[in-house]
Amino acid sequence: MKQNVYITGFSSTKFGEHYDKAASSLATKALLGSINDAEIKKESVQAAFFGSLVSGSNSQTSIGSTCIRECALQIPITRIEAGNASGAAAFQQAYSGILSGLYDCVAVVGVEKLSDYVIGGTIEKILGATIDYHWEFEMGATLASLYAILTKAHMKEFKTTLEQLAAVPVKNHKNGVKNPLAQFRREISLDRFLKAKRIADPIGRFDPATYCDGASSIILSSSKIIAENPDIKTKIPIVGLGHASDTLSLHHRDTLTSLQATKKAANQAFKMANINAKDINVAEVHDSYPIGEILAIEDIGFFPKGEGGKATEDGLTSPGSEISINPSGGLKARGDPFGATGIAQIVEIVKQMKGEAGERQTADFNYGLTQNVSGTGAMTYVTILAREEVGK
Amino acid sequence: MEPPKIWREKRERYLAVGIKCLDCENKSFPKSEFCTKCSSNNVKEYKLADTGKLLYFTQITQTAQEMIEYAPYIVGIVELDDTLKVTGQIVDCNLDEVKEGMSVRMVFRILARDGNEGLIRYGFKFAPS
Repeated sequence: MKQNVYITGFSSTKFGEHYDKAASSLATKALLGSINDAEIKKESVQAAFFGSLVSGSNSQTSIGSTCIRECALQIPITRIEAGNASGAAAFQQAYSGILSGLYDCVAVVGVEKLSDYVIGGTIEKILGATIDYHWEFEMGATLASLYAILTKAHMKEFKTTLEQLAAVPVKNHKNGVKNPLAQFRREISLDRFLKAKRIADPIGRFDPATYCDGASSIILSSSKIIAENPDIKTKIPIVGLGHASDTLSLHHRDTLTSLQATKKAANQAFKMANINAKDINVAEVHDSYPIGEILAIEDIGFFPKGEGGKATEDGLTSPGSEISINPSGGLKARGDPFGATGIAQIVEIVKQMKGEAGERQTADFNYGLTQNVSGTGAMTYVTILAREEVGK
Repeated sequence: MEPPKIWREKRERYLAVGIKCLDCENKSFPKSEFCTKCSSNNVKEYKLADTGKLLYFTQITQTAQEMIEYAPYIVGIVELDDTLKVTGQIVDCNLDEVKEGMSVRMVFRILARDGNEGLIRYGFKFAPS
């Protein structure tokens, strides 16, 4: 029997400011939620992988230990850190755990608790650790300033306009209105983006995704479990995975108009799934800054290089088009609790697969994709899910 | 700020010293015991070119606490005359004087202070040349 890995349960907390909840409480809520969703006994979960960038670093290193105690579980736990892509990184480790034959049922939990930190202080320092801390951040650069440079490089090379860039968060906020778990469920006008104060020109203060609290969890199961439980209600096969890295610092790169790690990771995932970009109709990509989504849709191959801005402005990435990008609202409207983001992206695709995405549902499609990025593209993870019928 | 780190990085930060590989001629910054191209440990210290041109820049208004006193400030990627690229601040000029492609020279400055009585992190920035 060909060994596949399936998503058999999922859950997400609402993303936003949870001042009354610790990181472990959020993680526990998501983990128990996914176990309930999978309709399994919690004792069936043999191991848990936690994806988290900072939650736990400051005062409590082992976030997983606190969480599984709250869940009354005693299972092997591992915390994975891959910057802002920690969630997708944990997902790939959990996948490997099953594919290797070590486990048949594993939980992946992405979690972050960021509202305790101050913007204009600690947050910038945390983000400084996702870029080259010594030779970018300590020299004065911030994550926003490096995305500003990526934005300027694209504008210069391809005549991408500020209006085209702002079309990304305008669309994502429009999508976020329809997502009950999103932090921001309201639209923001193009004008408001364009007139906002610049934090690192041309990046305006409304451009970055917000750093918030949240947790998402997924249960992964082996083919054996699927075969033994014919009535299982969720069985979404994982058909493509990719992971690639690039230099941590922008100044060590040959090109600033594409993210090489995204290209490589997407190619790996497409090769594994034996499909290409045209087969994907819905994708959740890393829009932590508007240029992030434009680079993603070009580097994954949904649009030719240089045409991502125009495509977005023309509505070619909006719901109902051939490729719907970030129907959940993306990082921008859903909010960005770093470690939770990569898992939340996958959860959105699962909901779309199951026809449970409500007003933001994508019509008939076979494949969905997620792209989770750390820093300015130092690490990228791409995941492709398929409908059960096509992904066997 | 950690004193051992500032001490460890003193030649890179204060003198802009990287490495050059004696086997493959590759130059690299920051310092490393191994060549970043061929992994040879046959490397020697190499002083970066102190002039170059500004490739990209942006003005930062929101930054970390330890650098907030300098905001707004300009940061950019500089390609040195020896082709190595580094990130640094552009100083001694106004925003409207800064242009992509402009010639710059390395200057020695304070990068950040750890409070009024704490350590000072020095390093290089760039000024128009």
